Amino acid sequence: MSEGPRFVLDAVGDPVEPPAHGPTLLGHDPFSHPPGPDPFLARLDEVLRDTARPPPSEQPETRQAPDRRRRQPRALDDPEPAGHERTRGVRRLLGENVLRRLATLDRLVSETGYDAWGLEPEAVKSALPFFLALYRGWFRVKSEGHEHVPTEGAAVLAANHAGLLPFDGAMTAVDLFLHTDPPRLARAVVDRWAGGLPFVGVFLARMGQVVGTRENVAGLLRDQQLMLVFPEGMEGIRKPVTQRYRLQHFHVGFVEEALRAAVPIVPTAIIGSENQAPILFDVKPLARLLRLPTAPITPTFPWLGPLGLLPYPVSYRIVYGEPLAFHERFGPEAADDARLVRYLTQQVRRTVQRLVDRERP
Amino acid sequence: MSRVLVTHADQPLGLRIVKRLFHDPAIESLLAVGEGRAPRSFARFLAGEPPRFDYVRADLARHRAASDLFHSGRVRESGIDTVVHVPRHGAAPEPERPVVSGLPVRTAESRLVLQHCLEVPSIRHLVALGSACVYKLASGNAACVREESELDLEPSISAERRAWIDADMLFHAEVGSDRLRVVLLRLPSVVGDGGEVYLNALLEGPPRPHLRPLGFDPLLSLISDKDVARGVQHAIHVQDAEGVFNLAAEETLPLSRLASWTGRSSIPVPGWAVRALQGLGVLGDAAPRRFGITLDTTRARRELGFQPGYHIALARGGDGRPRLEATPL
Repeated sequence: MSEGPRFVLDAVGDPVEPPAHGPTLLGHDPFSHPPGPDPFLARLDEVLRDTARPPPSEQPETRQAPDRRRRQPRALDDPEPAGHERTRGVRRLLGENVLRRLATLDRLVSETGYDAWGLEPEAVKSALPFFLALYRGWFRVKSEGHEHVPTEGAAVLAANHAGLLPFDGAMTAVDLFLHTDPPRLARAVVDRWAGGLPFVGVFLARMGQVVGTRENVAGLLRDQQLMLVFPEGMEGIRKPVTQRYRLQHFHVGFVEEALRAAVPIVPTAIIGSENQAPILFDVKPLARLLRLPTAPITPTFPWLGPLGLLPYPVSYRIVYGEPLAFHERFGPEAADDARLVRYLTQQVRRTVQRLVDRERP
Repeated sequence: MSRVLVTHADQPLGLRIVKRLFHDPAIESLLAVGEGRAPRSFARFLAGEPPRFDYVRADLARHRAASDLFHSGRVRESGIDTVVHVPRHGAAPEPERPVVSGLPVRTAESRLVLQHCLEVPSIRHLVALGSACVYKLASGNAACVREESELDLEPSISAERRAWIDADMLFHAEVGSDRLRVVLLRLPSVVGDGGEVYLNALLEGPPRPHLRPLGFDPLLSLISDKDVARGVQHAIHVQDAEGVFNLAAEETLPLSRLASWTGRSSIPVPGWAVRALQGLGVLGDAAPRRFGITLDTTRARRELGFQPGYHIALARGGDGRPRLEATPL
């Protein structure tokens, strides 16, 4: 939203000395968190302490490994805080590297803990274990070409889209977050329909995703953020299995905004999402009747009910191509030239298609 | 040097603006207009030497009162060249009941102030405060809107929002006029002293629970009343500035969090129940919204040189209770 010193509030997570007079800054909602140090940072400290401890095999024999299958009754004088066992599991799943990366998210938001588009780092921290499990265990994501993603400043990643549910966006965002240094949170553009759904819209916004309006995209690029767009839109996500790995028509808005903001476009190929939910038919009359973007028939949906929407455990491969720096050849005024924008959009589409064709099985 | 008239100076936002402008050495004289008696804090301004502050009472929603004020000897003699129109806080009283020519109070005031600014020869500059609630709420939890974004002209909007939009359009129509330089500042929810919130129908007045559709939590921009006053100051002094500007701080909050931070409860209810209550007219102007907006302030930063000087956070007041507080950056 801003051009000015957006990160003047970098010290959000730092302890604030209470002023001699007037109110004391809390920095957290006392209705949801007790006042005091950031629980996330406290957990981070615990992880760092854990790494300094000897591995379990070197620990004294007298200490028995806890029975993971049953919850152990706790003694009243047990010094460990409530929920420690649970958070330890989460911490092990995430690992120190991820925890350190998560700690950098706070610089993206203001004192209240949100940015202008609804990103809430605390919500990302809560949801990341789930997405990380999908990333590592379910989709077994492999990726390459991270050197093509700018380490700072704005850029637009344009990727192919498929798979009924947008796990491709989520996995790409996790991959970028894990493999860029400093860690970058990709702000994916989501369809207006999804953004307007109860709970879903709020969840997407808290994860940093935005509804695809021009104002949102322009504002985020001005804010030096990394955008992830799927120029095929809904057409990509509902294409039948016969069309897999064939890119659909690309919308042109992202090229216009990239030209206006003078930022590069990084073509990105996502292999695997095209197989995660093969659509046999799209019953369009039913979709219109139910006011849904698609009414798919897959080998598992609707036969297994909502479970049938679960993606198959296909392995993902994400490849980031060399950036297309259209802005170095054309000025911001080129965004108003419809023919040129269409031509450049086709260039992006062809580049992504070539990447997909090169990498697909 | 400017000679400034401030309307609704007896309301919290007007009070803040008057205080700011009074201490501005580039303001030669200040005429504050309010409906009620002069606030006590104005006593030291009124006693200042040499006298450069005056306070008059007038109901600007009434044609005769507004006309008497703008054509009075006070305005003529003091050579007022700038008018700062502060909107009436809270919902317009009895918005369904016509006050002047069938217009709700806020629209009537805006029309009369604008009309008299155009009539009085010495007035060359009008700074009007509007609300960000005029924007159309796009689908999605948050959309960052610019000044050119679409206004909500749906016939189904509440009378409160309609009044804001009517006033906005009245001022907007005069942008570019040779006779008058108009600056319209669109404001989000304004956080004042003691954590009070203004210009948000859901959060103004005494704490009471409000309903919101289940599964939605609109994101809202905030601004401190002190930053509003600073924005007005910029609008007065930047000579070539004209048009519409969004003003907002960096901070945003979801409605549920903002409600809890102002001591209110936000009760999620299913959408069908909200629609039923709206149909029965139970919710009135405080109709719950599913989507929110935040404001893109790029233009104000670029053309007015406005940078937020305060950030808004949760703080613990002297009484130990948590409340919203604006603290200097």
